Amino acid sequence: MAENGSNKQTRAKKKRKRPDAQAVLNLNIAGKIVVVSAIILLLFGFLVVRIARIMKDNGEQYKKQVLSQQEYDSVTIPFRRGSITDRNGVILAHSERVYNLIVDSYVLSDDEDSIEPTVQALSQCFGLPAADIRGYIADNASSRYHIFKKEITYDERTAYEEYVENYNNEVAEYNKGSEIKRPKINKNGIWFEDQFKRSYPNGTLACDVIGFTTKDGRGQYGLEEYYDSTLNGSNGREYGYLLDENALERTVVPAVNGYTLVSTVDSYIQRVCEEKIKEYNEEHADEYRQGEMGSDNTGVIVMDVHSGEVLAMASYPYFDLNDPSNLDILPEELKDYLMSKEGYKEEKDDKEDTDGDSEEEDEDEDKDKEEDRKEKEEAIKQKVSQNIWKNFCISQSYEPGSVGKTFTVAMGLDSGTVHDNDVYNCGGYLTFGEGDNATTIRCHNRYGDGPLTTKEAVEKSCNVALMLMGQKIGKERFLEYQKNFNFGLRTNIDLAGEMRTSSLVFNKDTMGITELMTSTFGQGFNVTMIQAAAAYCSLVNGGYYYKPHMVKQILDDDGAVVKNIEPELLRQVVSEKVSDQMIDYGIGVVEEGTGKKARPAGYKIGGKTGTAERSGQGKRDYTVSFMGFAPADDPQIVVYVVIDRPNTASQGENATRYACVLCREIMTEVLPYMHIFMTEELSEEEKAELEERGQLQQIPEAEEGEETENSGEKEDGEEAEEEKEKEVINLNIDPDSGYVIDPFNGEYLDPKTGEPIDSDSGIFQNADGDNIEITVLKDDEAEGKED
Amino acid sequence: MSNEKRSKGGFDYQLFFVTLLLMILGIVMIYSTSTYRAGEDPYSFVKRQLLAEGLGLIALFAIYLIPYSWLKIMGRAPLRYFVLGGSLILLMLLLVPALSHTAYGATRWLNLGFFNLQPAEVVKIAVIFFVAGYISEYPDRINHIKGYAFCLAVVVVCGGMVYAISTNLSSALIIMGIGVIMLFLSCNDWKLHLLAAGAGAGVVYLLINWILNSSMDVNNVDYHFKRIMVWHDPSAYVLDGGYQTLQALYAIGSGGITGKGIGKSVQKLSAIPEVHNDMIFSVVCEELGLVGAVVVLLLFVLLLARCMMITLKARDNFGKLLVAGVMMHIAIQVVLNIAVVTNTLPNTGVSLPFISYGGSSATFLLAELGLVMKVAKE
Repeated sequence: MAENGSNKQTRAKKKRKRPDAQAVLNLNIAGKIVVVSAIILLLFGFLVVRIARIMKDNGEQYKKQVLSQQEYDSVTIPFRRGSITDRNGVILAHSERVYNLIVDSYVLSDDEDSIEPTVQALSQCFGLPAADIRGYIADNASSRYHIFKKEITYDERTAYEEYVENYNNEVAEYNKGSEIKRPKINKNGIWFEDQFKRSYPNGTLACDVIGFTTKDGRGQYGLEEYYDSTLNGSNGREYGYLLDENALERTVVPAVNGYTLVSTVDSYIQRVCEEKIKEYNEEHADEYRQGEMGSDNTGVIVMDVHSGEVLAMASYPYFDLNDPSNLDILPEELKDYLMSKEGYKEEKDDKEDTDGDSEEEDEDEDKDKEEDRKEKEEAIKQKVSQNIWKNFCISQSYEPGSVGKTFTVAMGLDSGTVHDNDVYNCGGYLTFGEGDNATTIRCHNRYGDGPLTTKEAVEKSCNVALMLMGQKIGKERFLEYQKNFNFGLRTNIDLAGEMRTSSLVFNKDTMGITELMTSTFGQGFNVTMIQAAAAYCSLVNGGYYYKPHMVKQILDDDGAVVKNIEPELLRQVVSEKVSDQMIDYGIGVVEEGTGKKARPAGYKIGGKTGTAERSGQGKRDYTVSFMGFAPADDPQIVVYVVIDRPNTASQGENATRYACVLCREIMTEVLPYMHIFMTEELSEEEKAELEERGQLQQIPEAEEGEETENSGEKEDGEEAEEEKEKEVINLNIDPDSGYVIDPFNGEYLDPKTGEPIDSDSGIFQNADGDNIEITVLKDDEAEGKED
Repeated sequence: MSNEKRSKGGFDYQLFFVTLLLMILGIVMIYSTSTYRAGEDPYSFVKRQLLAEGLGLIALFAIYLIPYSWLKIMGRAPLRYFVLGGSLILLMLLLVPALSHTAYGATRWLNLGFFNLQPAEVVKIAVIFFVAGYISEYPDRINHIKGYAFCLAVVVVCGGMVYAISTNLSSALIIMGIGVIMLFLSCNDWKLHLLAAGAGAGVVYLLINWILNSSMDVNNVDYHFKRIMVWHDPSAYVLDGGYQTLQALYAIGSGGITGKGIGKSVQKLSAIPEVHNDMIFSVVCEELGLVGAVVVLLLFVLLLARCMMITLKARDNFGKLLVAGVMMHIAIQVVLNIAVVTNTLPNTGVSLPFISYGGSSATFLLAELGLVMKVAKE
């Protein structure tokens, strides 16, 4: 190098200038350091040559070697199944990431010594029996993929990885200082595979509606099954391949995650329904029949009458979506009852008695028996589970009973064959047909209801009056209307497992006069709850039949809307006028008739009770129900309660009140939640009751003076009633404008529609008399219309 | 290189910037090789390295700023014994478990709380100081057998202690190498060199004889010998330590002339153990190819050539020997490291100066460069 050259010159100069002892030393250092430097340079040169040779001689081979160490196997990237939320975005079902533990015996067997610590690590971190893993590796030394444990959480996986890291470091330390080497954990033989696990944060909530997912990701029952393909996405893939000249290319096709469902269910309303159902069933357990809950099954549907959206759908018994086969979450009694219904007998007690006498030789036999018994028990448990998984509201049919009368009356009014002012005379029974075919059907009131108007016939639920109407309507028309109400057809609600009822209603050929007569009061043909509820909605919403549905929106992975599911109007079944009349009749049922117990404190509602004898079974069993709508003036929701075989002290007609009470319980909580305000006076009892429930708390006691001013402008006849009414609602009224104030956000609300009013918009803002008068006028108009 | 500089040199920018360049390259390579295994913070290794290098630069400038006479005093009679003795005491502190830090199966670090110190690095500097001081104080003694033997004995004992206490063969060899070359530079009596070489050869012969007589079973032999066997045929002993060497070879081989491009190493991902440390050069070869390797080596040549120039121009023997010692230190480590990576020598675990990850090494090398620059200034 050039510098070496100049060094020599410098050295020469030094030599000449300092000829002392120090200089001698200098000279020698200089000479030798150049030599040493030259040697170092040589070594460097040698190393460069060495590197170049490695690259030249073995380059290709090593390149391939490097590539061969990479994984080319394509790896599946699992998609995430979409979530299910309620209408407000509360998550009902979602998928979380978990891992599968994969054991690669082939790699592990490569280094026999490392198997043992690896097995120990697995058994310690994941609680797997060490013997199993050891045995598996020994027996399947060439296996490259075996899932040893599923659904390992991220934390568990991290804990394992830390354990391995620590252990291997320890071993490495130990090994360096020791003659005898300890084996390390073989990290390469164990790996984790991504997976998703379905989880339901609310456990049993809306279990029938949601359905669950099997471990391999297939939806079962409910929304999970119906929307299986929507919820599922498609798996992605990661794979490597070789290009020319040994370049490795890795490509990732990302997974497409599934869509999220926004269901129409409101989890609050759903929860209320489920709690009330549970309360009823636990309260009436053992009451009439020993060892049974309050009913065989209790179903509730809450629907929005203007869109066919189902707000809640619940039944009893329930199950835990996270562990659908686990019967232990049910009350012990109920579990035993369900098991015994499927033919399961507990033999434990007998066993213990005989065990004392049996000899030792019998023990094997006993064990066999024990195993047999367990097997049977499992099979029965499975059967029971399968029954529970079914959604009562859509997959079980029953005779609607008196609820069906509403539809008969609506048919008559709409077809012009029955009129509001008709009078029917009930003598306690009706005989029809001639000669040998003559049939007599009794009214539930054996002594007869006497002369009844159409409205009274509905209120009193008189069979004879209904049969007389049926004779006017006639078979053809009756069947046509039934079809319009969707009886005998599936509603095609977006839930898996809706029952077919086409064979459970009559057709032209099967319907004789007797069948027509029984059909008029809801016996003889079968419906499902969803059919009845959807049809009833059309009676109180102006006659429009909407297809019932459970999902209102489908969102993609990023939350963007893929599809809005709009209310689907199928047909107009009755005219608006008839609908108004049906509302009026419904109000009558609750005010004057059989449904008095269904009215929640402070509200005006309407509805129809139902009691049906259950066919078959020999014994007299009943299905009682109540179909209610609220608020009475402008129906928003329909609440339909069905109690199958109520286990109550009073049976038959009298048991119907339990359905009413259940409906009342539900409405009492749901109506305020839905911002539907009280319109009726409260009796002292009701006040006390509401106070107990904690629902009167938000009503302040002040501002009495203003209210009387308001009520003073009402018409005289209504004054008394109005004043009482004001006690309830006026307390929530803005003294300036006469508008209701939303207790939650202080917004002004229209007292009729419940819609918020823009208080800044002008006219209604000021406190002058005109404005109040306008308000009052509006009230009167609306009321007049309903009358 | 002209005569004017002889009186007093200034700040040696060439030396400084070559070092800086090497350090920057080192940081880039550490980032490239360590991020994959750094876990949460991809910069954690880089940050620690920067801290160590910062400390080293502070040491460098501190040494540069103190008067040269102080350094010379430290090389004089009583003080140099204290310096060497102090470093050996530091080394012996490793025997106190509470103070030491163990990693990778060897106890080589003193735990200073925020920083792990490798006393072997201190011993290296101390030995350089001691030998330079001793020889410059008694330039004639070194040509007699007594002085020569004394110096050699000190170097061998220090190296032996490093090996015995911290089981660090490579550091021991480097210390002995530095000492022996410094003796070689200063002693003019060839007979003494021959004598020493003869004795050395004898010891080595006996050692090899002893090793060969012990069992050939890989599991029972001393692990240094195992490394020799691995070196001979790495692919035959993959599970016994050949793996690292073999993977390094694969990395070098797959780099080609121009390499795969910075950051694109495949081998660093998991195949090479300790890739950011002793084996970093293999990834330099893989990512930057032969060109990169040659550039790195040229930078070292520049650095060493600069050191040589300073040795030649230094005013006194102490300065000359000091710089020569540091130069040898760097040269030996570079040669050993690259020789190991290319499987030219058995695996000994030497880091590549200024490039490999390693706090103590970086800090003390920079401090040593401070000495060089101080001498250059004088």
